[in-house]
Amino acid sequence: MLDEATTIYTLESRKCFEDLRRVAAQIAGVLVLAEAGGKSATPDHPMLKAAAQLHREAVDQVRSRQPPVAARAHHEFLLRAADSLAAALAAALGLQLGSAAAVSTAASSRPLQTAAILPPVREAYEYLQRASNVLPGFPMVAFEQACCAGHVHA
Amino acid sequence: MNRYSIWVMEFAHVPDYHLSGLIYGAHNQGYRRLPYCYVVIKGEGQVAMVDVGYNYKAYGEVLANMYGVRNWHPPREVLAEAGLKPEDITSIFITHAHFDHMGNIEDFPNATFYLQERELSKWVWAMSLERRFRWLMLGIDPGDILRAVDLARQGRLVCVNGDREGVLPGIDLHAAFDTHTWGSMWVTVSNGGSGNAWVFCGDLAYTMENLRGDDLNDPHYIPVGLATGSQVNLIMASEAMLKAAGGDVSHVIPPHEDRLKDMFPSRLTSANLRITEVALARGQASLVR
Repeated sequence: MLDEATTIYTLESRKCFEDLRRVAAQIAGVLVLAEAGGKSATPDHPMLKAAAQLHREAVDQVRSRQPPVAARAHHEFLLRAADSLAAALAAALGLQLGSAAAVSTAASSRPLQTAAILPPVREAYEYLQRASNVLPGFPMVAFEQACCAGHVHA
Repeated sequence: MNRYSIWVMEFAHVPDYHLSGLIYGAHNQGYRRLPYCYVVIKGEGQVAMVDVGYNYKAYGEVLANMYGVRNWHPPREVLAEAGLKPEDITSIFITHAHFDHMGNIEDFPNATFYLQERELSKWVWAMSLERRFRWLMLGIDPGDILRAVDLARQGRLVCVNGDREGVLPGIDLHAAFDTHTWGSMWVTVSNGGSGNAWVFCGDLAYTMENLRGDDLNDPHYIPVGLATGSQVNLIMASEAMLKAAGGDVSHVIPPHEDRLKDMFPSRLTSANLRITEVALARGQASLVR
């Protein structure tokens, strides 16, 4: 049973967890395209820009949380996931970490360097998995919408 | 004589899945046991699988505790009943990208995976949409996308565009776009001789009712309960699968159908998992007798 403060934290943090999970999926999606030979998989792919925007919003939300004691580990995992995703996005977009500069024209047409981007995305995914494991209500897959779990919400 | 031995091997189950999820419109008609299975195809010097199930480490506890999925066992244990190891698997045909069909890639280190390119590209498209469209990502795990990147980097991911004949001797892949998922795929095995074609349909059909309705004297198609695409396309896919099976509905195999045991020889293992023997090749000992 969660105490009241942890319950409130859980409810308030669900969206930023889902957003970080989504950023990881978006970056991974572009990497799949890159590895499958997709010509659109360059640093100016619209999904990378969408991921960067969503990441900024999620980071703001995570940093604004004041976790209760029981949620500190969860919060720490979210912060680490956010940092790893920042590194992945920087590698993908050809930016220095923390830079808000636009992607240069030269950088925007080059192929993605999957080898540099994949490790921090994988690291972020692992942090999100750990966050998922330490508090209830943060699933890595939206099972409640999946056909395999339809019997629960029917 | 059969070219391939074919087994449907259970690795987990849900005791009471609502029938309306399996059969479109079957509301308030009760529940049915839903086995989770993959198909193993062995012969011609190959060992292939249709789908790979899911990884307990990533999903098992949540599925067991919240959704009542029971008795999950790993591929190493399940395949051992056929004298096989995950490392023996050479080709894997992923019917669609839901976690319970594609969620165990990493357990098969030597296999080449075949998946419809549209399944991947539409995933990516869905991920680019705003949060309010998140239903479109149902059942998809970001971890599977990462594992797909790894497969591609290792040269073990083959993106198929539409139908592909002869991916292995006598084995063809067929696209069923915009049905259960955007890039669903079904698999035919021509097992030697006429009237010996088998269809493995993934989630394009969950039960025999999807393929023949509930009146054996007046069969008709009823789609499954979930279509990311359309029910019309699901029905047309059922027609295509039945034709490929020579019109014999018993040759279209829905791996989630619990009553395969009434159609084919089968047995329960010591772990209470069912093995259903669809076909047996020359020289292969039966797993069920």
